[in-house]
Amino acid sequence: MTAGVSPSRTLGHVETVMGTAVSFVLYPGALSDTAVHSALARACRTLHEADQTFSTWKPQSPVSRLRRGEATIEELPTEVATVLGLCEHVKSASGGWFDPWAMPGGVDPTGLVKGWAAERALAELAQAGVRAAMVNAAGDLGVHGRPAPEEPWRVGIRHPWRVDALACVIEADAAVATSGAYERGEHLIDPNSGRPLTRAASATVTGPSLAIADALATALVVAGADEIGFVTALAGYDAYVISPDGSELASNGIRFVPSA
Amino acid sequence: MGLRGRVALFVVTAVIGLVAVLSLHTRASQLALPTAVQPASQRKQQPKSAPTSGSLSGSSQAVVLLARSAVGASEQYGYGVLSVRVTVRGNQIQDVTVTRLQTAEQYSQQLAAQVIPMLHSEVLSAQSARINGISGASYTSQAYALSVQSALDKLHVA
Repeated sequence: MTAGVSPSRTLGHVETVMGTAVSFVLYPGALSDTAVHSALARACRTLHEADQTFSTWKPQSPVSRLRRGEATIEELPTEVATVLGLCEHVKSASGGWFDPWAMPGGVDPTGLVKGWAAERALAELAQAGVRAAMVNAAGDLGVHGRPAPEEPWRVGIRHPWRVDALACVIEADAAVATSGAYERGEHLIDPNSGRPLTRAASATVTGPSLAIADALATALVVAGADEIGFVTALAGYDAYVISPDGSELASNGIRFVPSA
Repeated sequence: MGLRGRVALFVVTAVIGLVAVLSLHTRASQLALPTAVQPASQRKQQPKSAPTSGSLSGSSQAVVLLARSAVGASEQYGYGVLSVRVTVRGNQIQDVTVTRLQTAEQYSQQLAAQVIPMLHSEVLSAQSARINGISGASYTSQAYALSVQSALDKLHVA
């Protein structure tokens, strides 16, 4: 790939943060290189700030202090209250299937934070005037604009049992979050028991907010396909569930791209 | 970060290309169960492209840039270990090949070993890429991207 000669100029970046890799794909449009790099730097800074604030692995992070009862929400950065407010919203909307307060070790908003941070990073790019962009926070994606006017973003959904294959491809115009039972050691805890349990092999949620979609996907892979209704009851949100027996269920708003 | 950015784009696109190539099976009403090992998809093998030196061999090009390569760190991913060798000429990636790939599932290793060497030619036609990103695929793409980045660090391409 020759640098800088593509007719439709694109730019990519991978940032290692939050214990994972977050990748960006940008179509800067008319924006100057300087402006694009500045926006990308700001986007990455939001990711690192979120990591500093919300990491449950850093003992001195505000959330770690909250979990130990060393600080109240009022004493912490306002983002903590914002995120916990979103968590409360998704807990209610999901009928309790997403419940950061039922996690072992104390309140743990991790199931929403990655999407929230990526959504904020994408907003930095959009506000800077980047024509189109995708942020992929280790499998939770947000998109802004379109690669070309007639060309929507196409997002592959990972096959739950084949590492290097896709279950399907869907069109995306905002957020796509997927949680899978293959994610070992993550936050797929059944709030009913406080123990790890997933009733779906994979759950994908699309919608306007990546923070909400991330949390809903976490909830739905635990709850299973029978509970898809708590997602579709939310305006603008859709879901695609692969059950342990291999059957698939998708709500009407999921736009599958036919296989070529 | 400009060059690194473009380099990273290659990586992103390469990973996308990998999955696009590997995912030729169509969505059916039922996905294959974990025990059902599907044969490798039939696909047309693309000839591996020779280093695209055209832009450097023009008569007006006074400086001859030698190809350099480095092996990136072995990166853990959810199902094994992966590392790549990156070859650059000047600031341009010429090739990315996998030097180490260990997976629990032999068939995916075989598939990946067949397909990854074809990535370079695949991504050169990035405009025709069928997908832009992958949802839920965190491990493999991370390992690939991080190993490429560490190789580029060794080559001081930054």
